[in-house]
Amino acid sequence: MFAANMIQARYCSNRYNRWPFSLEITAMVASAPEMLIGASTDFLRRFSPFSQMEVEALQFLASRLELSFHQAGSDILTPEMGPPEHFFVVQRGKVLARQAGLAANAELAILPLGPGECFPIGAISANRPSANTYIAAEDSFIFRLPAADFRHLMQLSPVFHLFCTHYIASLLHQSRQQLQTTFAQRAAEQQTMTTSLHKLIKHPAISVSPDTPTRKVVELMAETRVGSMIIVDESAHPCGILTKSDVLTRILLAGFDLSRPVSEVMTNGPHTMMASASAYDAALAMATHGVRHLLIVDAEDRFLGVVSERDLFSLQRISLRQIRASIDSASDTDGLKRASDDIRQLALNLLAQGVGAEQLTQFISALNDALTCRILGLERERHQLGDIDFAWLAFGSEGRHEQTLSTDQDNGIIFVCPDPTLRNEMQARLLAFARSVNESLAACGFPLCTGNIMASNPELCLPLEQWQSRFDQWMREPEPQALLNASIFFDYRVIYGNQRLGDKLRNWLNRNAKKFSNFLRMMAENALTVAPPIGRIRDFVLEDDGTIDLKKSGARLFVDVARILALRVEVASSSTVQRLREAGGRMGVLGDEMSAIIDGFHFIQLLRLRAQCLDAERAESERLGDNKIKPDDLNELDRRILKEAFRQARKLQLRLKLDYQL
Amino acid sequence: MSWLSRLLSNRADVSSLDTALRETLTQWHMLPAPDLNKSHFETRYVVVNTEATGANVARDRLLSVAAIAINRELVVSADSLYASLEPDPATALTNLLSFVGNDPVVVFNSAFNRKMLEHAFSQQLGIDPEWTWIDLYWVLGELFPVMPAQGARLAEWMRLFDIETFQRHHALGDAFAIAQLMLAVQSKARSRGIYTPSSLSELEQRIRREAAQ
Repeated sequence: MFAANMIQARYCSNRYNRWPFSLEITAMVASAPEMLIGASTDFLRRFSPFSQMEVEALQFLASRLELSFHQAGSDILTPEMGPPEHFFVVQRGKVLARQAGLAANAELAILPLGPGECFPIGAISANRPSANTYIAAEDSFIFRLPAADFRHLMQLSPVFHLFCTHYIASLLHQSRQQLQTTFAQRAAEQQTMTTSLHKLIKHPAISVSPDTPTRKVVELMAETRVGSMIIVDESAHPCGILTKSDVLTRILLAGFDLSRPVSEVMTNGPHTMMASASAYDAALAMATHGVRHLLIVDAEDRFLGVVSERDLFSLQRISLRQIRASIDSASDTDGLKRASDDIRQLALNLLAQGVGAEQLTQFISALNDALTCRILGLERERHQLGDIDFAWLAFGSEGRHEQTLSTDQDNGIIFVCPDPTLRNEMQARLLAFARSVNESLAACGFPLCTGNIMASNPELCLPLEQWQSRFDQWMREPEPQALLNASIFFDYRVIYGNQRLGDKLRNWLNRNAKKFSNFLRMMAENALTVAPPIGRIRDFVLEDDGTIDLKKSGARLFVDVARILALRVEVASSSTVQRLREAGGRMGVLGDEMSAIIDGFHFIQLLRLRAQCLDAERAESERLGDNKIKPDDLNELDRRILKEAFRQARKLQLRLKLDYQL
Repeated sequence: MSWLSRLLSNRADVSSLDTALRETLTQWHMLPAPDLNKSHFETRYVVVNTEATGANVARDRLLSVAAIAINRELVVSADSLYASLEPDPATALTNLLSFVGNDPVVVFNSAFNRKMLEHAFSQQLGIDPEWTWIDLYWVLGELFPVMPAQGARLAEWMRLFDIETFQRHHALGDAFAIAQLMLAVQSKARSRGIYTPSSLSELEQRIRREAAQ
């Protein structure tokens, strides 16, 4: 019996068994290592970047992982351990990363890592000791990968390599792709690059058979004014194309006999594409093959029509251009109100197409600028401003080119007063004008500012010298209200009128702000009063209503620090990103480090825009309110990026803290 | 006289046996006794788990065996074994024997598991391995006194530690869950001054005795 059974057994060496003489059946079913590797693979696949990783690389990773257990409170990795011997992936539990040397500010410097998150990235890539201490916050199961295998994985997997080298940027990229998918559905009715080609065929298909005399074809082209003629066989399958330039080069210049059939002069095998493909596919095909026309066919390869490069381009710009045109041609508030609705819709479309937050907020700001300028232009005609030299200022997010979809008005006027006796009379005329503008803006969907930060407020409609003395006063006596004012008014920008008035004020500010070191210091203190809402135990610290306010405890963290840095190193721009980039460069912050911070800011802005779009679709009673999100509503990836974005905010704050010894 | 010793004593049927199997059994017999007084970190534990047609030792058959090593307090996928008893129980069991060697064996709720396995070893290979068995069923409740009483089921411990496995009630699937529990046990035991397999085994036996009283 024994011997008979042995016949089926096959043996192979197993390098993992400790006995050189061991034997193993190569079974038909999956082996134990295969099953366990499969379990690890399934786990990893639930998390980014492993979910995007190449099959072979993921398999390698899973096969090399070692599972370990760490009791709550135990060190997993510390700077003292030297260059890390392992790369870690949390399987279950929670790990805290604490920045070395900042133990006193424990709250500020702690970042929790949960399942699927990994560490260290920078230290192991650069083979230097970790800057953080990693401690198990609860009893945790942790996978570890030997450093040599980590390096091999970097080589093996472009996805993993990108993840490690551009950690936050790669997460953002994925999030944007997901966002695109989510919103593509909503924007489907809109003409976008996802429109199917079927809808883009403008003219009925004109085609001829291959044996048609060439003269006839050229005549038909002249008659119908089509740029190219399609030649189809008896089953309506396209077999050739003749374009206008072919007529010139192959027929006219070559002296081709016009009585010969067109099949002798046409280009054979034209590029075709199914009508169900998208405009984007078509653009890609045109770029790839270097052609300007694509023949659109149905599922049976029958010719339906032509889509040209121009059709696609107009599609891409149509909404932007249209809105711009309708703003410029509007003669009353009604027309502008429609344009304002269009801006919102466009933002949704662009969001759906995966346009990033920076471009998006710039688009919105640009269109809102155009809208505001048009209103100012219309109102100016109705008011007797004579030759008053003035500039219309935008403050706050509008001043920074960072408008989202819900922004109330923050504006003011700066004017030139050559004769003090005329001041009050000039101001009165400007105030009347400003009042009309504020009302029109409100009618177009920019609510009046509840804090009365508007040009129709006499306090905010001032000659240059008075603006200067106000700023001067705030900087000299930085009491709380002054600091609040500074945070609003320092981010001004001229959007209409004499640009040079704004420049003068900015130059004056930049020259003087540095003198008031106490003012900058207090601004810094003020900026640090709001901490990023990351919790020690839970991922996020929530407001009482279970949400996070992405403006108050998100974007503002970056904006406030950027403003102070800009004042300190004299950056003229009012945009947060520009300020960070320029100030970072002058202060010797590494480019990569600043990019990561800026990416974090962009992500929060993107989430705000998305939240606003989603909120607008909800019933009144279910709205969360502007800028509010529930982290539980976010997917795993976005939650992680948000955490990372907050971490970047904290980094920025820490920098300020160190600079001012706070 | 056991089947194996008959085999090794050059009885007539030896020639009909597979050399590789015989060799393996011989080598297993020659293994030195394990040193159970090394630390957990220096020890290779083997989690063993089985699947059977039912719970009656006399009537039911063993279907498959699975084993996962915990070496230096780590679980590594490659150091694992899964074998179906059919069609060749002798090879499957010999492979398990070779995989475990003389290392301490870790099981969960093993009374039945162990009987089934020992029965199979004796039937198929004519041997009775004298392994050190450590049953986490007893140990866990002592080290993690969060459960209301002794005797929580595997599913409950898995829930407590938030442990997942790829397939429940599969010999290897459950072994993987038990292996993860063993990682936690080693770590916790150490902080309780239980540094070696022998002291862990003593702990298990003490609790088992107390439960019996």
